[in-house]
Amino acid sequence: MKPIEIVLVYQSLLGIYGDRGNAMVLRRRLAWRGIEARLIEVEPGDPLPASGAIYLLGGGEDGAQVSAVRRLREDGNLFRAIEGGAVLFAVCAGYQITGHSFTIGEHDEVIEGLGLLDVTTRRGTERAVGESLSHWTRPDGTESLITGFENHGGFTTLGPGAAPLAFVEIGVGNANDGTEGAVQGRVIGAYPHGPILARNPELADHLLELALDRGLDPLPSTELDELRRQRIAAVRKAGLRR
Amino acid sequence: MSWSVPARTAPPSPGLRLRLATVMGDLAAGLSRLAGRGSGASIRGQVIARLAPGAFADLLRGRKILAVSGTNGKTTTTHLLAAAVRAGLGDAADRLVTNADGANLHYGIASALSQAPRADIAVLETDERVVGDLIATGAPQVLVFLNFSRDQLDRHHEIKALGRAWRTALEKAGKAGPVIVANASDPLVVWSSSTAAEVIWVETDTQWSADGALCPACGAILMRVRVEAGRDHWDCPGCELTQPEASYVVTGDAIRLPGGETVTPQLRVPGRFNLSNAACALAAAVHFGIDPQTALTGMATVTAPAGRYATAQFGTTRARLLLAKNPAGWAEALPLAASDPVVLAIDAVAADGKDVSWLWDVDYEQLAGRQVIATGPRAQDLAVRLSYAEVAHTVVPDLTEALAGHGGTVDVISTYTPFQRLLKMAGLR
Ligand SMILES: [Zn+2]
Repeated sequence: MKPIEIVLVYQSLLGIYGDRGNAMVLRRRLAWRGIEARLIEVEPGDPLPASGAIYLLGGGEDGAQVSAVRRLREDGNLFRAIEGGAVLFAVCAGYQITGHSFTIGEHDEVIEGLGLLDVTTRRGTERAVGESLSHWTRPDGTESLITGFENHGGFTTLGPGAAPLAFVEIGVGNANDGTEGAVQGRVIGAYPHGPILARNPELADHLLELALDRGLDPLPSTELDELRRQRIAAVRKAGLRR
Repeated sequence: MSWSVPARTAPPSPGLRLRLATVMGDLAAGLSRLAGRGSGASIRGQVIARLAPGAFADLLRGRKILAVSGTNGKTTTTHLLAAAVRAGLGDAADRLVTNADGANLHYGIASALSQAPRADIAVLETDERVVGDLIATGAPQVLVFLNFSRDQLDRHHEIKALGRAWRTALEKAGKAGPVIVANASDPLVVWSSSTAAEVIWVETDTQWSADGALCPACGAILMRVRVEAGRDHWDCPGCELTQPEASYVVTGDAIRLPGGETVTPQLRVPGRFNLSNAACALAAAVHFGIDPQTALTGMATVTAPAGRYATAQFGTTRARLLLAKNPAGWAEALPLAASDPVVLAIDAVAADGKDVSWLWDVDYEQLAGRQVIATGPRAQDLAVRLSYAEVAHTVVPDLTEALAGHGGTVDVISTYTPFQRLLKMAGLR
């Protein structure tokens, strides 16, 4: 079988919060199950492969966001891949650029996004910085907690085409409106970086299952359970004081 | 060529109010030390500022100031520069004051200066956020800009914002502003310095380039062009910004001086990063009038600036203490840590940065084949990172336990807060 391709997009532009970690986590979780995977890192100037199973966008500063949107449009392969059934997982600034539009700079210049998610981002009433916790319903109907760290100045509003990924217990999430992230088909956006997939193995496996179109055996890890226990306890203790 | 340090001048004597404030500050610092809360530098500075508003400016006035700033290497470079200047002063070493303890905000600087009212030369480690104020109120003669990289992004949301503040301060200072000694290899440093009246460029040799991908001036993606075998320069395809030709160039384990002569510093602080720091300190010292050989002799005496690279005894364990505050710092520190096992201490309180995402920006994969002892309050985050890196590890959250019972010398790399605790445990502060 052909190895699964995980495409890490423009780390030099969108990789400010350890976002490379999301790619490492996905690849290892496949390898640990004996599934061959390739991590393809693409930098601006080089073409994106259209054959990837999962594409990852991370966080970055204003100028980098604008640069990334322009390059991804010129390249075009991300759009082709998603049309062909690939999964896109975008966090933080990457989530913002995946929507219709977002703003940058002191004067809130509106920049057109990739239009892959029916969401719009504008400057928020406060900067969201800190540990966050939200409730995510998995495809089988069971609930899983998403623990992460959010750091964003933009607030994101969902249109009718996108559904919230999760519901916030602690933190700001999309716009202090109780929702966190967005899902539209196989495109998923989320605010926590952290990197979010390291702390949330069930979310990582969900992305892999989407990309592979099949279920995966669980990978029990007491170490990960303990990290989740610590982070969930810490954010609940700090709670709304944040 | 003849070298001479500027002649001694007398700083204005402190007014009554400032003298009283200093007495009270000393008292508070003494109490703080007695209570085991560190050097008391910051508390002294706070008391002085409270009782004598304007003390920061008053204490700087009339001194010849050499300042050092940047994300990483400030403390070590300040020590190197102070040692170089001290060597140049010979018997008159009492002319020099420095904030050797790394307390580099307004309070820490005021505290150090208050202890040496007659010293007319100040070598000051200066936090990136204080540089603007220092330029505006202190009229420094020389300002060293080391580097700019991601650090505590939960507090400083944009790496470029500080650079913008430096540009504004330098522009305002105009011709009267400081001579800048700046790292030409760091695009953000070059952009931040480019409003200065005079810059002495130093080409350094650094590991971390992830924060120099985009042109800070126009946003284009920077390119690398080969200038000679094994030596690249960065260049912006979108605008005029390009790596300046440097007067001082770090090559291998030597520094090429403006005249073309090369010197090989005999440093006692390890690593290529510190050779780059030394090149910046050397350029600043030479500009100040110190002969390069004398400066190098002085720098060779620096061993453990504010505890960095110190070897200390913890029970039966000997440990070498390395500090790494951000991904760029880890990129420099990890190759230095050669022991097996190696101890890595992680915390995430305000002083460390509350977000440990950076763990995924550090190449822990290079530790494969060795045993890591993960310690500190965020040891579990590191443990998960190490599992994904397939590096063998154990989690021992308690610092004392993690250090117990090692044979030989164990290397410890630590974020800021555990590092301070280690220094205290070792009796080094
Ligand atoms: Zn440019």
